[in-house]
Amino acid sequence: MPVGKLHLNRHTKSDLFAGVEPLVNIFLLNLLNAISYGAILFLLASGFSLIFGVMGVLNLSHGALYMVGAYVGWTIAVANGISFWLGALAGGLVAGLISLVMEAGFFRRLYKQLNEQMLLTFGFVYIIDNLARWIWGPSYRPPFTSPALSGSFDILGSKYPTVRIAIIFIGMVIALGLWWLQDKTRAGAMIRAGMDDKETAMALGINLPLVSTVAFFVGSFIAGFAGVIGAQVMGVYPEMSMTVMLLVLAVIIIGGVGSVQGTLVGAGILGAIDAFGKALFPDYAMFTVYLAMIIVLIIKPSGILGRQI
Amino acid sequence: MGRAPAYRSKRGRLHKLIEIVPHLVIALLLLFLVPLQPTYIQSLATKILIFAIFAMSLDLLIGYAGIMSLGHAAFFGTAGYAAGILVVRYGVDNVWLGLGFGILLATLVAAVFGIIALQARGIYSILITFALGQLLYSFATKWRSVTNGDYGLWGIPIPALGLSSFEWNGTCYYYFVFLTFLVCYFCLYRLVKSPFGKSLQGIREGESRMRALGYNIWLFKYVAFIIAGMFAGAAGVLYAYHSGIMTPGDLAVANSGFVMLMAIAGGVGTIYGPVIGAALIITIQYYASILTPNRWPLILGGVFVLTIMYARAGVGVYFFKLWKRVLGGWKF
Repeated sequence: MPVGKLHLNRHTKSDLFAGVEPLVNIFLLNLLNAISYGAILFLLASGFSLIFGVMGVLNLSHGALYMVGAYVGWTIAVANGISFWLGALAGGLVAGLISLVMEAGFFRRLYKQLNEQMLLTFGFVYIIDNLARWIWGPSYRPPFTSPALSGSFDILGSKYPTVRIAIIFIGMVIALGLWWLQDKTRAGAMIRAGMDDKETAMALGINLPLVSTVAFFVGSFIAGFAGVIGAQVMGVYPEMSMTVMLLVLAVIIIGGVGSVQGTLVGAGILGAIDAFGKALFPDYAMFTVYLAMIIVLIIKPSGILGRQI
Repeated sequence: MGRAPAYRSKRGRLHKLIEIVPHLVIALLLLFLVPLQPTYIQSLATKILIFAIFAMSLDLLIGYAGIMSLGHAAFFGTAGYAAGILVVRYGVDNVWLGLGFGILLATLVAAVFGIIALQARGIYSILITFALGQLLYSFATKWRSVTNGDYGLWGIPIPALGLSSFEWNGTCYYYFVFLTFLVCYFCLYRLVKSPFGKSLQGIREGESRMRALGYNIWLFKYVAFIIAGMFAGAAGVLYAYHSGIMTPGDLAVANSGFVMLMAIAGGVGTIYGPVIGAALIITIQYYASILTPNRWPLILGGVFVLTIMYARAGVGVYFFKLWKRVLGGWKF
């Protein structure tokens, strides 16, 4: 499946270049595209970053959980026509439950063996991908959304899809929520303590295994939820888990892992690169992402706002 | 130099015997038994030997230099594409030119990727190998005029040896792969036993201590990365000629994971382990894809998980220990 399936500009491109429009307008629309894509990327990567921060596990099945979430959302919202928002919640829940099985059944037995845990998640990608293909078949599911969001509205005389604005809103709400959780709550303090020094945190009476399980569930829930939210513009297809995983890694490499702020910065930059890159050099958009990654790596290998690992 | 004490030479002889007998048996089987088998077995054995080279090269990274890589297929695929493009687009079907060009390109790619990947540490370095592998993957899908994009570069024939009157068939190609495998095995075996290999293991076990001893850690890792890329390239060229088609997937992370599974299932940190691993996984793949072609990735994932959970030391290592115990039981 071509990577180009992830083009977010598909819907607006025709509007963009249909007539002779002022440059400001084109810039504004691309900026909105950048922010909405950035919001999806943030949702995607924040769960991964949370899991990595707390457990130290490089969860390569994160993209697969995203895909499963999107498929579950599709089943509920489109195939059964129940409700988009219920689909989003169910997508998150199913992804979270899968992660609990992975954690309780496998990760616990590989305590502190980070490389083995990473390889395990890689094995799960094959399994989840194939099961998803078994259940939902190989065909591409086009974007779907709630009827309330399916319209578009005018911005400075151009039409802009409502979904994107909703995505930006959802991304912002979750970002603020996670930020608050990280910096202002006791749970966040426990998580940060666990990231910095596991032994001392445990000696102080923090139940780190429980914190890990909760973080893994929450991170995976966000992945599944992000799958449904992202499906509003990207749709779902069986091979998407590795493509999505690559985007997560790009966000993490650029922004740095282990903090909400880092993920936000990475997602914002990547969203901007993608939207403006596609508008300016449509054929090379994928490579501009790599270029950004390499530049960040050379200047600051741990990411722009990365914690030292 | 004086003679070694009697007990040492006796143990040394036993040690040599323990190592040489399985090597000899397997080599003789590969040399004489496989060519007598039907074509599909020969083809299977060819594929096993190719992936054995690939897995050994990855083992040099994981097992000796302690570098995890999820982008090792990049070098394999680059070399395969290089050889394939040489044949399909330019009609150069000489195997030596193909091997040379493929390995050269793989080495260059490894030299560039190594600088970037080893710039970061630990987990970041894994992420970067993953990302760089996918970069080449998307490159191969986009550069359609040369690579045929998603359809794959097909129609790569079995190459010519450079002797005009010599017609090649599958069996000849099998022997060629076998010979290349022997050369690679020998080179890698000598490499890990050399001071360079020992230093790599020292770095893997205690990086700060080796740094304190004055070793240039980065350079050792970098050279290991390039050498691993070189051997992966050799495997890639052989694979291109063997399968007749190169697809972008051959460069991608799924292929890197596939070979990683072979290395781990056989046992990293030994050169023979990945060979056993390759034989095991390719055989499972062959029969599983006949049995349930659609469910093969599921089985692969299952094997992956089971290997990590229960056979991390590697099946090859287990066999070797068993053999050692059997032989150790005899009195010399």
